[in-house]
Amino acid sequence: MHISEGILPLNWALVWSLIAIPFVAWGLYELKKLSAEDPAFKPLVGLITAVVFIISCMPIPVPTAGTCSHPCGTGIAGILVGPAISILIAAAALLIQALFLAHGGLSTWGADIVSMGVMGSFAGFLTFKALRTIRVNIAVSAFMAGLFADWATYLTTSVELASGLKGDSEFMPLFWKIAIAFVPTQLPLGILEGAMTAGMVTLLYRKRPDLLVKMRVLKPEEVGI
Amino acid sequence: MAMHLLSEHFRNDHGFLKIDARVKIVFALMLLAMVLSYKGFFFPFFVLLCAIACCLHIKIPLRAFLLRFAEPLFIVAVLLVIKLFFTGSEVLFSFNLGSIQVAGYADGLKEGLLIACRILGAVSILTLLGFSTPFTELIAALAWLRFPKGFIEVLMFAYRYIFMLFEDAMVIYNSQKNRLGYASVKQGLSSFGTLAGSLTLKAFENSQSTALAMTQRGYDGNMPMLKHKPFNLPEVVISAFLICIMGALWRI
Repeated sequence: MHISEGILPLNWALVWSLIAIPFVAWGLYELKKLSAEDPAFKPLVGLITAVVFIISCMPIPVPTAGTCSHPCGTGIAGILVGPAISILIAAAALLIQALFLAHGGLSTWGADIVSMGVMGSFAGFLTFKALRTIRVNIAVSAFMAGLFADWATYLTTSVELASGLKGDSEFMPLFWKIAIAFVPTQLPLGILEGAMTAGMVTLLYRKRPDLLVKMRVLKPEEVGI
Repeated sequence: MAMHLLSEHFRNDHGFLKIDARVKIVFALMLLAMVLSYKGFFFPFFVLLCAIACCLHIKIPLRAFLLRFAEPLFIVAVLLVIKLFFTGSEVLFSFNLGSIQVAGYADGLKEGLLIACRILGAVSILTLLGFSTPFTELIAALAWLRFPKGFIEVLMFAYRYIFMLFEDAMVIYNSQKNRLGYASVKQGLSSFGTLAGSLTLKAFENSQSTALAMTQRGYDGNMPMLKHKPFNLPEVVISAFLICIMGALWRI
């Protein structure tokens, strides 16, 4: 769920951009470190950015809302490359979407990075890791990671919208109204994103388990290598 | 599909293409700041009309232009409903919904319409910038604005592979569709998961071959950037003049 250009007033747009900067800087630091070890890492990050961009352009019908929506893709990126690089991927995909599809915006880029990149990536990554630690099935772990990544994004977006639009009124009532208003699209979409993430991880697990080990998603003993 | 709406598909030989991308991006950012900080209806609406006129001038199909507003308009609609029914004190109308009395507020509606105008004005600036500037030039302009080099490189890799992976995605999607892969919600989800997984696999495989091919061509981990030409003085002066006019209108 992108926050469109122009929704946030200038002061709030700046606040969210300042919050996003250290996370993107962390992603750039990790990128520099990892691409020094493996020259194929930078092209890989670019390719995953392209995948996230394409996935988030695919319209999925949301029956309860009667509209089409699209997955975020940051949950799966968080699982595959970790939250730092996933934030960088989200920032790049969001900038291309803002400039060439008018999804999101330049002034709301920081807010979108925080909701989709930071919260989505951390929610996806931490959920998957936590569930795998207690030995939950890989498909279920991936489903829950996708689900929570999407819902975390949606709740953060609601916080950003409420704080930017509250004016003189109180924050919490407006937050709940916005959160409830987007329930018809975002609740089913979270389930769809969970199913998509589970499908992706399961396919990778079946076809190329070695890649999941290489990306430190799974341990060698988990795939019998 | 959204990919067909990417600006690259609308590159024509129009005058805006010749303007330095750095000038365009700075102009767009200044205009954006004015729209976001304006407290009335007039200025964003004026910017919207100017952007529509420019887009029509460079022969952007109206459908493509309007589709850019689809997502922002959905959010605008939700915000207008929230502002109309839940914010304000001056009752505009009221009706009974079962046992609940629902009221719409005039000040809430005004606030919602102000936000709607701001969104439409701001989105139109971004839309015009996207339609009138090739990606590589925009990236070079971002590099000039001191965006980190690593980030610029990721953007360049991503943009290069979006088109390649998109073709693969369309082949898989059409085959799945022909085999009724999207006939039901459950099948659709499974097919979409497979599609996304296949793209990820291709991304992993291509990253190795790309890195190898680039290393053979002298890639040392740093990509060369476009060299900036010197600024064209008339372009800068005209842009500064237009910004001054916009600034004067903004103060009204």
